[in-house]
Amino acid sequence: MRSQRTPALVPSAMRIFDLSLGQMLWSRRSVFLGVLLGGPVLLALGLRVISALYLSGFRINGAMAGGATIFGMMIWLLYLRFIVPVLGVFYGTALIADEVEDKTITYLFTRPIPRRAVLVGKYFAYLVCTSLLILPSVVLVYFLIVPIGDGSIGAAFPSLVKDLGMLVVGLAAYGAVFALVGTRLKRPLVAGLVFAFGWEPGVMFFPGYLRRATVAYYLQALVTHEMPQDSAVSVLLQVFREVPDVLTSLASLGLITVAALWVAGRSVEQREYVLDQ
Amino acid sequence: MTARTRYFVIVSLLVLGVGLGTGLVAYYIGFPAGAFTRTGGPEELQFIPRDATVVAYADVREVMASELRQKLQASVPVAPDGRREFEDKTGINIETDVDRVVACLNPSRHSTKPENAQGAGMVLARGRFNETKIEALMREHGAGVEDYRGKRLITGTMLADRNGDNIHAGQNHELAVVFLEPGLLAIGTPVLVRSAVDLHQAGDNPQAGLQSVASNDELMSLVRSLEAGNLWAVGRFDVLESQAHLPPEVTTRLPAITWFAVSGHVNGGLRGLIRAEARDEEAANNLRDVVRGFVALGKMQAGSRSDVQALMQSLELGGTGKTVALSFNVPAEIFEAVAAAAGSRAPRGEKKPEIR
Repeated sequence: MRSQRTPALVPSAMRIFDLSLGQMLWSRRSVFLGVLLGGPVLLALGLRVISALYLSGFRINGAMAGGATIFGMMIWLLYLRFIVPVLGVFYGTALIADEVEDKTITYLFTRPIPRRAVLVGKYFAYLVCTSLLILPSVVLVYFLIVPIGDGSIGAAFPSLVKDLGMLVVGLAAYGAVFALVGTRLKRPLVAGLVFAFGWEPGVMFFPGYLRRATVAYYLQALVTHEMPQDSAVSVLLQVFREVPDVLTSLASLGLITVAALWVAGRSVEQREYVLDQ
Repeated sequence: MTARTRYFVIVSLLVLGVGLGTGLVAYYIGFPAGAFTRTGGPEELQFIPRDATVVAYADVREVMASELRQKLQASVPVAPDGRREFEDKTGINIETDVDRVVACLNPSRHSTKPENAQGAGMVLARGRFNETKIEALMREHGAGVEDYRGKRLITGTMLADRNGDNIHAGQNHELAVVFLEPGLLAIGTPVLVRSAVDLHQAGDNPQAGLQSVASNDELMSLVRSLEAGNLWAVGRFDVLESQAHLPPEVTTRLPAITWFAVSGHVNGGLRGLIRAEARDEEAANNLRDVVRGFVALGKMQAGSRSDVQALMQSLELGGTGKTVALSFNVPAEIFEAVAAAAGSRAPRGEKKPEIR
């Protein structure tokens, strides 16, 4: 007699990934994502047009700013501080919560696959979907902004590669953390927003060990650009800046990602989802 | 995966791949000058090595056609002998063939000792040149031709002590000429001319140690601020000062300036701006005080002449922080008066030169 075996985690996760990628790309959430990522490209285009029309260049605090400096500021202010956490919150918390809300989680759980594979497959679909949208946007911004003020595409290229890698690592870490939030809490979006825009900036403001309980603390060590002094808070952050080395940061972010995904997977495996009728 | 999703993935990866590929090529090989952007200033700057101490520009066509030059030529006719001699030797008529020139002065690359550093120079002229005639004329004067990266590099030796106009006695100066592209001539020391060919062929390539002044942010920001003028020069004052081998009692009294920039617009008169970047704010304040003193003295000495008064009134001291700027406006009448005074000093009975 042939025994009925549950398929392994990876092939099952791949099936869910294949199914979820298309759903994520063409969802209403992706329209919002498109607008979010179109903003920096339009801004870069505007800056480029202005620099082409008025060749006097751009000044920041009275000093002439090159294209690479402006690009670094955009990576800090737009992508790292805003877009990556926002995407993490909106997509990460929705991985399981959306299925619960739409009452379709039952259909997924009745499939002969491990429950954990649903989360893992959806998580990888999120990572690919957001990466495929963010990375080309960053590349476009790079080619529009860096040549401003005689910046060299070639000279700044290593920092672009590091930025792309850093953004993928950031998306992975935030996605995993918010996927965990989505599986454990009832109102994950609110909790995620509070974490990303309340807890993280707030804790970074204080000296001490508390900041190590954030993703941003490890992520900022991977940024090759100087932190922009765009506000009084930034100036204070520069004063209190205590950055771990790159290896520690990468190891910590890897640990956060794996641990958060594992705990989230366990939650999905063990939790009883009671759907409102 | 649906076809729509597949297309999206392909397009996204294509943008990413092309971007990264282009960046990689730019990183390892460099891009031809101006591949992505207009850097500001004349495009010939792309062919000048990054370590240039002084860069100067003249819109020859505009200056030659200016009202001021026409007036000066009418009031003080200049003998065309020198111009004609230059044309006979090189086949270039400065008045009609040259549109604009960009010149640079670089520290000597042969010598590591500062006392031997005499500097190297190059002029890039844009215009209409008869390449065959120029090469033939130079070969007649003993120049040789070699192939350098597919360009015909004409090299010759300039005897410094010829006709008694000895500058560096006993030294011969090598000179090279190359046509970087039709209508663009580079003439100067062979090292610089070869660098210009390298930059023209491959563009900026920081990994190979090949960069143009266009990648020098400090210099280019000054160049962009001077673009309104049809004549300008930008340079490192501190480097020039260190290469001039001035006595210590002179150098200690010179203002602590790092960069200088001079710009002029020639038309009915000469409108210009002299700008200096001091080492620090204190040095800038000191320099401002000195200039203010000279301006005040000049205004006091202006007398009753309305044109001189107008010139002195046009002097305007400005600049903030480390920058000191002095703008001026010299009316055509001043030039006419100076030219007339110079003309009246010429020996009587001299044959009046013909006006060309």
